[in-house]
Amino acid sequence: MSARGAWLFAALLVAAAAAAMALAGANPAAGFFALVRGALGGEHQLSETLVQTTALLFPSLAVALAFRAGLFNIGAEGQLIVGGLFAGVAGAAIAAPAWIAIPLILAAGAAGGGFWGGIAGALRARFGGNEVIATLMLNIVAALVANYLVGGPLHSAAATGAETPELATTSWLPVLLGGTRLTVAFPLALALAAFLRYVLDGTVFGYSLRAAGDAPQAAARAGIDLGRTALVAMTLSGAIAGLGGATLVAGVLHRFNVALSPGYGFIAIAVALVGGLDPLRIVLAAFAFGILQSGSLTMQALAHVPKDTVTFIEGLAIVGLSARHFAGRRREAG
Amino acid sequence: MQEFAGFLELTLIKATPLIFAALAGVVCERAGILNISLEGGLTVGAFAAVAVSYLTGSPIAGLAAGVLAGAVLGGLLGFAATRFGVDQIVAGTGLNLLAAGGTAFGIVVLFGTPGASPEVPALGARGEAALIVLALVSAIGLQLGLDYTPWGLRLRACGESPHAVRSAGLDPRRIRLIATLVGGALAGLGGVFLSLGELDIYSDGMTAGRGFIALAAVIFGRWTPLGATGAALAFGALSALQFVLQRAGVPSELMQALPYLAALAALTGIVGKARAPAADGVPY
Repeated sequence: MSARGAWLFAALLVAAAAAAMALAGANPAAGFFALVRGALGGEHQLSETLVQTTALLFPSLAVALAFRAGLFNIGAEGQLIVGGLFAGVAGAAIAAPAWIAIPLILAAGAAGGGFWGGIAGALRARFGGNEVIATLMLNIVAALVANYLVGGPLHSAAATGAETPELATTSWLPVLLGGTRLTVAFPLALALAAFLRYVLDGTVFGYSLRAAGDAPQAAARAGIDLGRTALVAMTLSGAIAGLGGATLVAGVLHRFNVALSPGYGFIAIAVALVGGLDPLRIVLAAFAFGILQSGSLTMQALAHVPKDTVTFIEGLAIVGLSARHFAGRRREAG
Repeated sequence: MQEFAGFLELTLIKATPLIFAALAGVVCERAGILNISLEGGLTVGAFAAVAVSYLTGSPIAGLAAGVLAGAVLGGLLGFAATRFGVDQIVAGTGLNLLAAGGTAFGIVVLFGTPGASPEVPALGARGEAALIVLALVSAIGLQLGLDYTPWGLRLRACGESPHAVRSAGLDPRRIRLIATLVGGALAGLGGVFLSLGELDIYSDGMTAGRGFIALAAVIFGRWTPLGATGAALAFGALSALQFVLQRAGVPSELMQALPYLAALAALTGIVGKARAPAADGVPY
């Protein structure tokens, strides 16, 4: 998409949002104002926007890594949930100083997400099974497993909702700004973005991933094992999404709850595409979508625009952006 | 005996939306469009049916609106895929979000409160039964149509080798677009059954992943209308059994997960190699 096309597309999305607001009987100008005010209007609002940015950044980077390897990971949502579940279970069990507990909890999350992504990768590698279908199915299985475990065997007696016991305060991610929910997860996500940029663009491993995605036949002839690449890419992608789930558990909710994610793993697809699958531009895209996520509630409260307008616009953005990167590149699925 | 009849009836009720959505999936995939927005099709169908029944007082008008809404959503995918060469997976994910957000928005705008609609005039027991019969008849009709009519042959050819279709002087993009319209209408009909057939309201999230179970049914049924219908009936029987087995101590989540686990097993080829159409999901 040219720069002009991108602006035109953005203008179209804004026009659609304005039309939706008018349809809801609200003044679009007031709606946008409330959205921006709710997202950026003060220290508290800005910190909440960065919390949302962080929550979106992990699964978005996960999606981008898999897409760059030619794998359609539609399962970041499920990987995030399983990662969160592992982190919640580990966190509730661990009683240790922060410097031991926090890395363990985050590692548990990455392991859980990696395991869940790895299933889809293994199906692709071993049986040529379509990763799209596999990740779609695994998303729902993840939600059901979490529902079952949290509602039954892992249920916290002290909790009112479907959630695991609260983590010891020493296991909480350190807060960056007093009185906010902004934790070290945010710089961690930024560092991960920079690291992924280096790995994808500057290492042989990153090159082999991209080769497998862009020109699988040529890559295979050059000696790249496509099956192994699929397994590794899906596992890593899942691990990143799972790490994101762990940061939500250890940083925001301080326990695992089945309502951990309002669809971060799906919105992540839009974020990754807006960011052109480039980790650094994805940071900016995640901030933009973070504004939408955190401002939508204020928009609903002040301008009486249903917050679901944002979901609608995000869907529209994904449909519009689906033309950008993959035309003609999808390899024949087995 | 009476209990068994009750079980059969519940199976048919639970299976019907799955059958419609699975048939939609078969039609699209056999034409080469991997439609993962069946969930969105069910959602907009269910919502539009209730909205129009609410506004006009006529459930028949609601039914027509539901079918139309499904066709529009399917057509959006078809149009984007055939005219702009977009990636079908990404576009389908977007359409699912679009449908979820649009209907949640619509509930607030139309009914004033979020979450659910009030009760509206519904199709009633006879309408429900008619839709169940229609689902089964559609399955047989589609199987015959795909196997024995020139239209069916063209559609299948689009899913295997659109370039060959082009060489034969036909326009594969047009055939694919029509397939997504027909598929979308079928998915919409499944949604109508959920909101106006089985119930008389629409509520957020009432499709509850049935569009994805339908995708599983397509794979399990090896991309044939009757096979997918058989799988949908089996999944319907599972959810009919759920209440019984839950009382016996089987976790309901396990029962709900079975269709998805079955689809994952089908991907491994353990149950016989399930082969998708060669050009399924490949842009043309």
